[in-house]
Amino acid sequence: MQTLEYLGHGLSVAVQWHNLLFAFIGVLIGTAVGVLPGIGPMSGVALLIPVTASMTAGLGPEQAAISSIILLAGVYYGAMYGGSTTSILLNTPGESSSVVTTLDGYQMARQGRAGAALAIAAIGSFAAGLVSLIGLIFLAGPLSELAIKFGPAEYFSLMVLGLAAVSGLAGKSMTKALIMTVFGLLLASIGIDNVSGVARFTYDNPYLYSGLEFLTIAVGLFALGEVFKTILEKEQTDGTLAKITRVMPTKQDLKDSAAPIARGSLLGFFIGVLPGAGATMASFFSYIMEKKLSKNRDKFGQGAIEGVAAPESANNAAAGGAMIPLLTLGIPGSGTTAILMGALIMYNVQPGPLLFQDHPQVAWGLIASMFIGNIMLLILNMPLVKVFAKIIETPPKYLIPLIVAISVFGVYAVQYTTFDLLLLIGCGVAGYFLAKNDYPLAPLVLGLVLGPMIENNMRRALTISNGDFMIFLHKPISAVFIAAAVLWLVVPMLLRLRGKKVLVNEEG
Amino acid sequence: MNKTFDRFASVAFLAIGTLFVIESRKISESAYGSNVGPDIFPMYLGVILVLLSLRLFYETFRYRTDGKAEKEKLDYKRFSVILGAAILYAYFLEDIGYVISTFLFLVIGFQTMQKGKLWVSAVISALFTLVVYFVFVEVLKGSLPGFPSWLGLS
Repeated sequence: MQTLEYLGHGLSVAVQWHNLLFAFIGVLIGTAVGVLPGIGPMSGVALLIPVTASMTAGLGPEQAAISSIILLAGVYYGAMYGGSTTSILLNTPGESSSVVTTLDGYQMARQGRAGAALAIAAIGSFAAGLVSLIGLIFLAGPLSELAIKFGPAEYFSLMVLGLAAVSGLAGKSMTKALIMTVFGLLLASIGIDNVSGVARFTYDNPYLYSGLEFLTIAVGLFALGEVFKTILEKEQTDGTLAKITRVMPTKQDLKDSAAPIARGSLLGFFIGVLPGAGATMASFFSYIMEKKLSKNRDKFGQGAIEGVAAPESANNAAAGGAMIPLLTLGIPGSGTTAILMGALIMYNVQPGPLLFQDHPQVAWGLIASMFIGNIMLLILNMPLVKVFAKIIETPPKYLIPLIVAISVFGVYAVQYTTFDLLLLIGCGVAGYFLAKNDYPLAPLVLGLVLGPMIENNMRRALTISNGDFMIFLHKPISAVFIAAAVLWLVVPMLLRLRGKKVLVNEEG
Repeated sequence: MNKTFDRFASVAFLAIGTLFVIESRKISESAYGSNVGPDIFPMYLGVILVLLSLRLFYETFRYRTDGKAEKEKLDYKRFSVILGAAILYAYFLEDIGYVISTFLFLVIGFQTMQKGKLWVSAVISALFTLVVYFVFVEVLKGSLPGFPSWLGLS
């Protein structure tokens, strides 16, 4: 089988010692990022892009791309796991996808079963990682072969669908989400137009010719935005840290959670593949599903191990599933995958159907490293749970200024301009105020990343059709995408009008 | 929800959208044989942004005013000190070099977050600064403005 051959090849890339090291650093930092309150997966990944860029500077271009994407993906799923630690021990979710875990996890900790809860979360995350990996292996090939046949019109419509899906589900107000999407697309149009070579909106400012740097904006909006939030709102974790006594779960615990882990992984994976619906929704839905399926429903909320196993598996599976549209179609379905995509583009690796042809090393190396990373997470987390619990106690007074310093260093080390540093701080302030007032930031970043590609495909399609916009509706596949995009925006709107509560996906 | 902020934001986005529409009309229409030039995309987006911000402005009148939203106490003093320090840090980084500027920024940052233990702050700042500088410049062969040239160290 060709797929297995590629996978074996990817595995040989992933077990090169420096890539093992990068995967290890990635999951380690990721777990820490997940545990630390105040930095979520998005800001963690954004913050580390420039750091990895300088770490991989000595490698060849493709090698550097593989190594850094392995590290960044490690941060992503490591953070998914780490977030559960604080949920269980402190009743404070480290990131939004672990909110549901607090319901039963903290209760378990109060009953002295914190160790079992953490272990089940680790085992569930590992199983989910495996499920999403298998899904990735089987879906990636066929999907990219299908997508390779798409012309510019189909691609344009597909990206519009991706943007619509993320905007439709992000935040409380769809108007605001759409504004952020369009604003991101507009920001992406600044700089020299790469089709005609005309400078747009640059006003003879040399810094603007190459466009606004994605990295600067992402680090500013997410990392600095959250720092400013912590400073202004004096976030304090005043819960008492639960003690961890016994780490290994009992046989009964394992038996109880086997089925929820399997169901949570599958559900989470498919939710993750859908654009717009991310880890938060996956964990939420799987919790509801387990509660419906369970024989003794009253146990939920009282420390049921199923209530930890299912959502924790689901959010990790969703993180894996979200890699599929990113790698095969080049369409990120969430804020974090948008940032990963920005990182890949920085290395001149364009995610999308051609990725598996042009850079099979990168694609399969990443997939194989996710498997290794998941094993590392399991090994790392079972014995080191107590060490990670200590990270929670890091005093924010040292953390906050250090994050600012790391952001400044990171941006300067890649961009070498004072202009970008000032833009970074400006984005931080804007990020804080926008997020505080329910303007979701993920669609903005998505627009910024997809902007150039959407525009190129639109212009190519319009050139073919001599400027006739109907080309997007005449092509059947493109018309289906456009229809789906419209539905994705209209259905939640109608539901809201009828007074139904629509579950929105928090940043993640 | 904050009505004032939303109104302000809608006006700002309206202005941004209008600006993009006006400015994109100045871009030369077509550079090559196509009739779809570099101006089309930003112009349409500008129009969409204008429409969306009008919609947002309209929505601000329909909020249910659910009593007085409780005033959060925001720590503006600490925020402005750190923000100011960060801007100065960014602005003077190239002039006074990475090592001195980072050290100063961190000490100010730590002390603003919590007063006291000056020497602990100084030690952590110095450690962070020197480790980052050493690893990046010496090990990874990156380039950072180290010390200002008038110190005559290099």
